[in-house]
Amino acid sequence: MKRRTFATVLGTAPFINLLPMGARAAEARPQVIRISFPGAGTGGRPIVGGSFPANSHLQRAIDEEFKADGIRVEWKHFPGAGPALNESFANGLTDFAFGHGDLPLIVGRSTGLKHKVLMSAGRGGDSYFVVPAGSTAKSLTDLKGKRIATFKGTAGQLTTYRFFERFGLSDKDFKVISLDSDSTLAALSTGDIDGTVRAPFDVEARGVAHRIHEILNDPYITRPSTVWVGEEFEKKYPEVVQRVVTRLVKVAQWSTLEANREKQLQLWATSGTAYVDYQKGWESTKDLRDRINPLLDDYYQASIRNSIEEAKKYKLVRRDVAFDGWLEPRYLNNALKDLKLEDYWPQQAADGKVKVPGRKL
Amino acid sequence: MTPPLQPGKAGSAVFTGLRRFAHAGVGLVLPALLYGLWLLAVERRWLPEQILPAPSLVWQSLQELWASGELQGHLLASASRVGWSLAVGGSAGLLLGLAMGLSRTLRDYLFPSFDVVSQFPVLGWIPLLIIFAGIDEALKISAISIAVTVPVAVNTLKGIGNIPPALFEVCRVYRFTPWQVVRRMVLPAAAPSLFNGLRQAVMQAWLTLVFVELLASSEGIGYLMVWGRQLAQLDLVIVGMVLIGAVGVALDLALRTLESWLVRWRPPAF
Repeated sequence: MKRRTFATVLGTAPFINLLPMGARAAEARPQVIRISFPGAGTGGRPIVGGSFPANSHLQRAIDEEFKADGIRVEWKHFPGAGPALNESFANGLTDFAFGHGDLPLIVGRSTGLKHKVLMSAGRGGDSYFVVPAGSTAKSLTDLKGKRIATFKGTAGQLTTYRFFERFGLSDKDFKVISLDSDSTLAALSTGDIDGTVRAPFDVEARGVAHRIHEILNDPYITRPSTVWVGEEFEKKYPEVVQRVVTRLVKVAQWSTLEANREKQLQLWATSGTAYVDYQKGWESTKDLRDRINPLLDDYYQASIRNSIEEAKKYKLVRRDVAFDGWLEPRYLNNALKDLKLEDYWPQQAADGKVKVPGRKL
Repeated sequence: MTPPLQPGKAGSAVFTGLRRFAHAGVGLVLPALLYGLWLLAVERRWLPEQILPAPSLVWQSLQELWASGELQGHLLASASRVGWSLAVGGSAGLLLGLAMGLSRTLRDYLFPSFDVVSQFPVLGWIPLLIIFAGIDEALKISAISIAVTVPVAVNTLKGIGNIPPALFEVCRVYRFTPWQVVRRMVLPAAAPSLFNGLRQAVMQAWLTLVFVELLASSEGIGYLMVWGRQLAQLDLVIVGMVLIGAVGVALDLALRTLESWLVRWRPPAF
């Protein structure tokens, strides 16, 4: 074993000098790549759905990519969602985040966590305000002073607050409690909460709850989530980062194909979230590229900047969050170029309107 | 527990005073060491700053939260929960303890069940309580009340058990009514044990409080701590811990003062 390693080193030695300085300084490969999802399936099972990074796990794409190199991929799913992912990263136990929500991402950076934004993990979609089946409330105004559940510290909190704002209300008008999604569902069924923001289809079909408001495809209410890499990892293993990103973009492209819609909906439903919630939730998305989009375009950047302002306004961060120097689009651009997908996805302007439409299919 | 001073020995009094001071000072050594360790750990970055905030940041957060009135709000919410639970659980425990202590029959009926039930940790009650009481205030008050009932009842029972039988005989001789027995003899005689139970109860109440406030709350010290963790502001968690400690010490002191006032009839060198 040892001899072979030695031989490998000798064998590669003549080529080392051909590599650029930066690459030579960087260690060749890690033993393990630790990839974290800010969430888990129903009952904490290690599966999530709803995004192309989730597909990369469900299809074992990254594992496959690094199998030949003997690099192990360790997948982590946190029932404690985005905040738990931050703790894991702070403790040095995470290299990549596959789809961090805006609030925990910003909170992490505000506390000095050092990561580089690689690409957007998904965007768009509809939001619904749901109340228990027995509720007589017709609108959010009827629920003033009532108990509203959201998973505080996650992107869902800001979405809920934006919902309040849209109806001229604020978090101060309600008793906002923190529950994770499993508990929210249970509390909705027992009437222990008076409302929440979540997908309505499954709970309506089961007669547990119904929607009172829907905000459809509003780029201001929903915000993109983010794929990032730890700064240290990125510095040490830039080539590994490139391969992860390129593979992810490949998976993203697969995920946008209409032919694969049904297949991935089925895959996502293995997380325990009802199939119907995914199916109906994506029904109005005729071109999957509108939501499965990895670009760090004007819309992505404006959204994150907006979310930073909101986090400050609601005093969810206490230190300033610098946007500059956070994004590292190099890897994404390389991947798009390599895969000849530079014009594949639509580019959105800051307000969410399509600026440059995606390639004609 | 003041040892009676010997007259004419002023030097010894000064010495005793010094020794007491030294005793108090020794108690500060461990906290000082811990504080030093904390400072060192922060300075040397043994733990990431996101996990272990600097003492100065904790102090700053404490001041900010106090100035904005937020801290008082949380404290008030928690204090009212503890207050209600002490009232409900404390009276239940007292009645239970008195009943079992004074009536042999009731004791035979109740004690075995009570003994078993009191072995459950309060946290074990929570899932069941959620089903019956929901996740609202009722859950919090009932969980804390259970935590309070047990030590109060146990200590009341113990206090009564330790009353010398002779005192009961005196009551019989004086033909006391049952109420008189309780008020004039049992309560004063069992007071030290009762207060012991109450102090344990307060401690249990705060422990349980923090746990139940982690569930579905929007205010309270426990909530502040969860919230701090969710937002990666561990300084808030430490502020919560400091506050719970401070309130605990204050309550304990208050109870001690109340106790010594209530049993002031006792000779000082008991």
